[in-house]
Amino acid sequence: MPHQCVKCGALYGDASEAIIKGCKDCESKLFFYVKQDYLDKAKERTSNLTKVEKNQIEKDVYDIIGDEIDKDIPVVLDIESINIIKPGKYELDLVNLFKKKQPLIYKLEDGKYVVDIMESFSKFSKK
Amino acid sequence: MIKRFKDFFNKYFKNLFGKKKEVKIGLYGPPNGGKTTLANRICEDWLGEQLGNVSSVAHETREVQIKEKVVIKSGNKQITFSLVDTPGIATKIDYEEFVKEGMKEKEAKNRAKEATKGVIDAIKWLDDMETVVVVLDATKDPYSQVNITIMGNLEARNIPVLVVANKVDLKKADLKKIESAFPKYDIVGISAKYGKNVDKFYEKLIEVAGK
Repeated sequence: MPHQCVKCGALYGDASEAIIKGCKDCESKLFFYVKQDYLDKAKERTSNLTKVEKNQIEKDVYDIIGDEIDKDIPVVLDIESINIIKPGKYELDLVNLFKKKQPLIYKLEDGKYVVDIMESFSKFSKK
Repeated sequence: MIKRFKDFFNKYFKNLFGKKKEVKIGLYGPPNGGKTTLANRICEDWLGEQLGNVSSVAHETREVQIKEKVVIKSGNKQITFSLVDTPGIATKIDYEEFVKEGMKEKEAKNRAKEATKGVIDAIKWLDDMETVVVVLDATKDPYSQVNITIMGNLEARNIPVLVVANKVDLKKADLKKIESAFPKYDIVGISAKYGKNVDKFYEKLIEVAGK
């Protein structure tokens, strides 16, 4: 399954080193997880955005997932749960969001850590 | 397995020492249904203070808000709970809708971002709720994806539900339509803004939360 860099839109395969170390083009560590069926949609998503918009989306995504996420750790987001069309325009898949089985952030296979966003969200919201 | 073990012990010891956590009642629903207006009504009626701001622009509440130790009474029954007001749940959040209401673009985009986070937070909090009050705007079509998804998930989690058909003071309000959309649930038509029928709401809430 491919991963798409939130910032520049570059696509990487599952085992790509970029997902662990950061995007080869822009060094961003934020990725959307993209299912094969959504690949065309994902490609289209970034081709219409300006650089300013891409930067804004990356910033917004960090704001949404919370401050306690270490920005040095690569984060993979499930594109099916939250689709950011452009800054300020969001589509939410409630069915997926309500499902506990569908975490927002996936375990990185080759990574040395697991970022469980659901856990971070609960810590954040229960402060 | 370990979690189950922990849950069991937590439950056992809590019961043993009588330290059961206060019941949490959550207000859930689509944006602009009147969740915060109802939360304010409850807090004003029983605590003499407000909980949050209300606005005609959707997604005014973007953070989960809690009021602890709310005691409500109806007849000879009473219930003590934490009231949890949640951001409106939506499938689409578009800053242009806020711009149309007169907001500046930057502010509108920020509101959209916070509202998106709010939806995720509201869903996260659902696991902590012992009873949920689903607040619907009685002037709107109840057969929306948001409503159906919320109701379906509450049913799947076996959380007791009270449906509030709010804004019945308005001419367009159609309580019967909401009753026919969710026939399995207790439904009470109120006007949170003007306090119409809230006594009935308190009575029903004690009944549903006490089940």
